[in-house]
Amino acid sequence: MKVSEMVKKAGFAVFTKGEDRDIESGYCGDFLSNIISRATDACVWLTVMNNVNVAAVATLIDCACVLLCEGVEPDKPFFDRAASLGIWVLGTNDNVFEASKKVAAVCGV
Amino acid sequence: MECIRLEYDVDGNNFSSAGNASDSVKRTLKQLGVSPASVRRVAIAMYEGEINMVIHAHGGRAEVEIYPDYIDIYLKDSGPGIADIDLAMKAGYSTATENIRSLGFGAGMGLPNMKKYSDEMKIDSTVGVGTTVFLRVKF
Ligand SMILES: Nc1ncnc2c1ncn2[C@@H]1O[C@H](COP(=O)(O)OP(=O)(O)O)[C@@H](O)[C@H]1O
Ligand SMILES: [Mg+2]
Repeated sequence: MKVSEMVKKAGFAVFTKGEDRDIESGYCGDFLSNIISRATDACVWLTVMNNVNVAAVATLIDCACVLLCEGVEPDKPFFDRAASLGIWVLGTNDNVFEASKKVAAVCGV
Repeated sequence: MECIRLEYDVDGNNFSSAGNASDSVKRTLKQLGVSPASVRRVAIAMYEGEINMVIHAHGGRAEVEIYPDYIDIYLKDSGPGIADIDLAMKAGYSTATENIRSLGFGAGMGLPNMKKYSDEMKIDSTVGVGTTVFLRVKF
């Protein structure tokens, strides 16, 4: 399922947009060392981190999108970098567990 | 042997550029047609090294040499050095401050990840002088 389709079906907020790729998996985590070594590409990366390093790691792992949970919003440097790199940054008020369930149900991953 | 040389200044005062050197190397390798699995290993190992220079050593320099079958990466800094390298290599060991951890760093998995995803790794470090980490990743 494309990122844009998931956004529509799950009702996630959209902070920045990127290439509309197919979602193949999911990964939850906040420690960047874990994410960079374990997240699979084309995943939805669910996190509560909202600083600029999330944008750098998202590019390196080639995730399909970042989903900020628990009402977290990107700070200004993160927003600017994600916008210029063309990374999808989405948001939800759900906690990481509930948001993961929604991603899994909507995308079938 | 002919190789492609790349050099980067890694800014120690600016988190918003941390990862740029690794990303640039990743893009170059992709363009050269290196396999995605190898590109991934290089990206992980180099990003961890780049971040270490930013969070532990006030920045430094990355020198990269790309050969047909492998890449050599030298991460050089003039930071505080590492007193006990064996201890620093232990999974989970970190001297990162709470402030750094709140940014998502400091899991103590950087050096172990660099070891895991490279084929050769060598750390030269002198306390008060600086650290050079050498990484080779075969394609
Ligand atoms: N370039 C460096 N200069 C000085 N100390 C370093 C450097 N790289 C790593 N270290 C030391 O080794 C420890 C472990 O590094 P690492 O495994 O990357 O974990 P982390 O970066 O999460 O603390 C660091 O906490 C730090 O004390
Ligand atoms: Mg580290």
